[in-house]
Amino acid sequence: MTTVTQAPNADRPAGTADLRGAIRREGRRLMDLWWQEMGAADAAGRPTAYVFVMGSLNEVLRCFDLTINFPEITALQTAVRGQSLTYLQAAEDDGYSPDICGYVKTDVGLHLRGRAHPHGTIPKPGLVVATNMCNTYIKWAEIWEQRYRCPVFVLDLPAWRGSGPGGAGGGIGEHDRRYVEAQLRDLIALCERVTGTRFDVDRLRETLAEANRMAAHYHDVLVLNQRRPAPFSALREGIVFQGIANLYRGSPEGTAFFDAARAEIEARTRRGEGALPHEQFRLLLSGTTCYASFKRFAELFEEWGAVFVHSTYLVFAGGGFGPGFGYDLARPIESLAEQLLASAWHGFSIPMFYAQDWLAETARAWAVDGICFHGVKSCRTTSTGLPDVREWLRTQHDIPGLFIQSDLVDPRLWSDAQLKNRVDAFLESLAARQLSARGGTP
Amino acid sequence: MIVAGVDVGSTQTKAVVMDDHQRILGQALLDTGARLTEVATTAFHRALEAGGCAEGDVAYVVGTGYGRFRVEFGHAQVTEISCHARGAVHLFPKTCSVLDVGGQDTKAIRVGEAGQVLDFCMNDKCSAGTGRFLGAASHALELPLGDLGPLALTARTPVTMTTTCTVFAESEILGWLARGRKTEDVLLGVHIAIAARTLSLLRRVGIEPEITFTGGVARNVAMVKLLEDLTGFPVNVSPASHYCGAIGAALHALDRARAGAAAAAGASRA
Amino acid sequence: MTIDQELAGIFDDSRALVEDPSYPAVRRWREANPGGQVLGHFQVYFPEEIAHAAGMLPVKIIGGGSAVQIRKADARIAAFVCSILRSSLELALSGRLDFLSLYVVPTICDASRNACGVWVRNVPALPCQVLYFPQNAGSAHAVRYLAEEYRRVADMIGEMMGRPVTDDHVRRSIAVFNENRRLLRALYRVKRDTPWLLTAVEAYVVTCAAGLMPREEHNRVLRRVLELLPQRSAKRQDKIRVVFEGGFCEQPPIDMLAVIQDACYIVDDDLLIGLRWLTDDVSPEGDPFTTLAAAYLRGARYSAVQRDPGKPASEMLLQRLREARADAAIVAAAKMCEPGLEEQVRHIRALDEAGIPHLVLEFEEKMTVFEQIRMEIETFAESLLFDFA
Repeated sequence: MTTVTQAPNADRPAGTADLRGAIRREGRRLMDLWWQEMGAADAAGRPTAYVFVMGSLNEVLRCFDLTINFPEITALQTAVRGQSLTYLQAAEDDGYSPDICGYVKTDVGLHLRGRAHPHGTIPKPGLVVATNMCNTYIKWAEIWEQRYRCPVFVLDLPAWRGSGPGGAGGGIGEHDRRYVEAQLRDLIALCERVTGTRFDVDRLRETLAEANRMAAHYHDVLVLNQRRPAPFSALREGIVFQGIANLYRGSPEGTAFFDAARAEIEARTRRGEGALPHEQFRLLLSGTTCYASFKRFAELFEEWGAVFVHSTYLVFAGGGFGPGFGYDLARPIESLAEQLLASAWHGFSIPMFYAQDWLAETARAWAVDGICFHGVKSCRTTSTGLPDVREWLRTQHDIPGLFIQSDLVDPRLWSDAQLKNRVDAFLESLAARQLSARGGTP
Repeated sequence: MIVAGVDVGSTQTKAVVMDDHQRILGQALLDTGARLTEVATTAFHRALEAGGCAEGDVAYVVGTGYGRFRVEFGHAQVTEISCHARGAVHLFPKTCSVLDVGGQDTKAIRVGEAGQVLDFCMNDKCSAGTGRFLGAASHALELPLGDLGPLALTARTPVTMTTTCTVFAESEILGWLARGRKTEDVLLGVHIAIAARTLSLLRRVGIEPEITFTGGVARNVAMVKLLEDLTGFPVNVSPASHYCGAIGAALHALDRARAGAAAAAGASRA
Repeated sequence: MTIDQELAGIFDDSRALVEDPSYPAVRRWREANPGGQVLGHFQVYFPEEIAHAAGMLPVKIIGGGSAVQIRKADARIAAFVCSILRSSLELALSGRLDFLSLYVVPTICDASRNACGVWVRNVPALPCQVLYFPQNAGSAHAVRYLAEEYRRVADMIGEMMGRPVTDDHVRRSIAVFNENRRLLRALYRVKRDTPWLLTAVEAYVVTCAAGLMPREEHNRVLRRVLELLPQRSAKRQDKIRVVFEGGFCEQPPIDMLAVIQDACYIVDDDLLIGLRWLTDDVSPEGDPFTTLAAAYLRGARYSAVQRDPGKPASEMLLQRLREARADAAIVAAAKMCEPGLEEQVRHIRALDEAGIPHLVLEFEEKMTVFEQIRMEIETFAESLLFDFA
């Protein structure tokens, strides 16, 4: 691991000016493009696939020129705009409990209001593809199924199995691989029926190849944050990366974006430019963020010079690329099945349920001072085990952790004073730790 | 040198004036009310009066508590978690765990020898593990808060309170009474429920003796006994525990005043 | 002893067993079978025949209701999570499950999917396995996959026991559990056709006992109960007939069922549906893992946590109401139960469209005060009886 010591801001060398802001510009352009495509598909009555970030199957769906909607992303965008409450209340008025996932309710609210979203109109679902990586995905899919009578394809991905006698829990089995491959062939057949387009395995090779390239660049981007100061915020810029990684997976635009992102961030490291003017603390985020108070969440930490350098969120919600990810183009469908299983195991379930080892290793490699465990009421998948993982890291690795709770999209669940209190206290204790590590009295 | 700590809590505001031998010269306690800056100022002045000090003598003031940013005359703000940790170690130097159960929130803190925060945990949104739960009991049973502890201790067969919500606590209490259970049994059940929830917080940071119990609820003898029974360790309680946060704030003020003086001395030497 | 006394004795024993968080029947079995190993399983369903075939005792571990005070589990699990997950973890953390050799948790919901990680970190001496039931249940490949998933578990059990689980063993076990399911179906027919012969609480505790004791013993108990019930002296009462829907995982407290039964006959329900998941005998022919897997997917009930396009849940609820000649439905959900709460919405919609009266409730396993629920149920029942008058 190379580290770059903190350098004062230098004058920008000529010729690198065009790299600045590329992430922001390209990211916005690609987001707008996606919304335009959805608007066009809606107007033309073209089938749109609704998919989820954990197992979007873009590599297959792109072979059929399907427009792809990500309801998790449209939901969070309403919250970032400060408009999620209207949709949440519409769903609750319609009978949905306050205690269920806010993404689902926001989306139900969107559909109740004619699919009219602040960014545009969302097309009706022509097809839904959900994996079992989140059980709520499946119930959510059934809501559209009832409303629109659209085909719903659930892809079973057996994943982490736990512990067996003697400790080893077993690995991915032949029966797992066979099942996933067979399901993928069924999905392909379904896509052919829905779109009237024949499946072309060469197109699949293209999308797989693009996904390989994008994943490599994505990895390179993430690793750049091992530098000091961290050139990007895993929170603020991280969600742009997650958004594009999901929306453009398997497409040349996705590859190009991360190639450019890598270049821009490398340029920052050459300039010694950090995400924050004065980096005091380096943190990991375990869990998701709060979209309803997105800037404020970041500010609470940034006020202290604390930057998030990495997160489990970038892994499980950025595409689930585990170590050694890469499709074998000579055996496209078989390899897709294998990589989906590997993602289910290492990219989704372990970062959510059994993340302590990854967190400990990442804390070491990224030189992290502490971990923020953020539980959200909406998401039991990512939140239930967080206090336990925090405890593990505290007792086994002496890594300080802060546990806070709010929500993904529900502004009613953001208690600013309470959260600020906890964040401040945590960072005060980290400051004292730093001071005593340097030999001062706390 | 004289310093001060002002703790603006949700129900009460406390101020402490301290000298550079960590001796408390004066203190004051007021109900917070709605005007935070005013009450912080009043508490500060009363503490000064009690100590026979003048405002101009004070080198550094730290504000703490929820209203800490409204202590406008303060030089710095420090969270009450960090202040309670310092204050508890000041009152009981062998403290390793602090449990602070206040009117509306509860904190569990593991502290180091110098009063630094090693780990902490606070109650999540609900107030079931806080003094508010006792407030609900006091209201439902029409008994003064101060009577609850001693009465609870006379119970032999406590009920099992299951509601996790203060809002429903009153109806659950009345439900038990309607079934003919004795007041003290219901009360002890309430205390046990609070103790269990606060202990759950303490477990998250690790229970390590000595345990110091602060906050308004620390004056409740039944809560103290229950915590001792459930942890298996004696629990430190001080009549000054009200002021724990303000004391800690004053100690933080002392640190910063000394650091400032050292820096000034260093600068003047350079 | 009179028939009524004998029945009362059986039901009292069952209730005592169900309410005892020390698993006395399991301990008795271990004493009688030195070296015997116990496999625990969570909700909703587990193919217990596989464990039974290995000579293990399969036991349903589903939390502790109000009998278990949560002392340690709350520090490990975030808020906004159902009680059954907490209390199950509490059982493990407090050492009450030291008799288990293996614990299996299916991926029924997002909260349960965290259980295994928490167990592995905190109870390292107890292996904890995740079982993946297909949610692509309509797939032509699902049966084969599930059969192999069952084999995987059987292989693991075989390794633990030091001898493989053979097909013949599994077939013999299937026969025992077929019998149990037949007897439970017969019990439910009594509930439906002559509900005054046994209360909801009685039916519940004797059903629940199935997962807490050796099945052969439970079969004997059920046979005796079914023999005696028709001879019981019980008066038919004027109560509305309801179907209780929402008891597929976290269980309502027994005293809540007692409150319901004061005003209603619960003529059908999904309480502990996992113990009654398979609706017909599993064939002894062929590969037993395949027949069990096929039975799970094709010859079984529905629930909020098993997606199956061939089993539209709300339609099947309406059908259940018709078959049970029910007047109304109680559509319940455990607090914080995401699948249950979401299922409620679709059920309510379907019931509204069909014009079937229904009462919507939320419950928690550890509730002890039911005044509000009692009032709601009595009001609901009265309004229906008034309609009929």
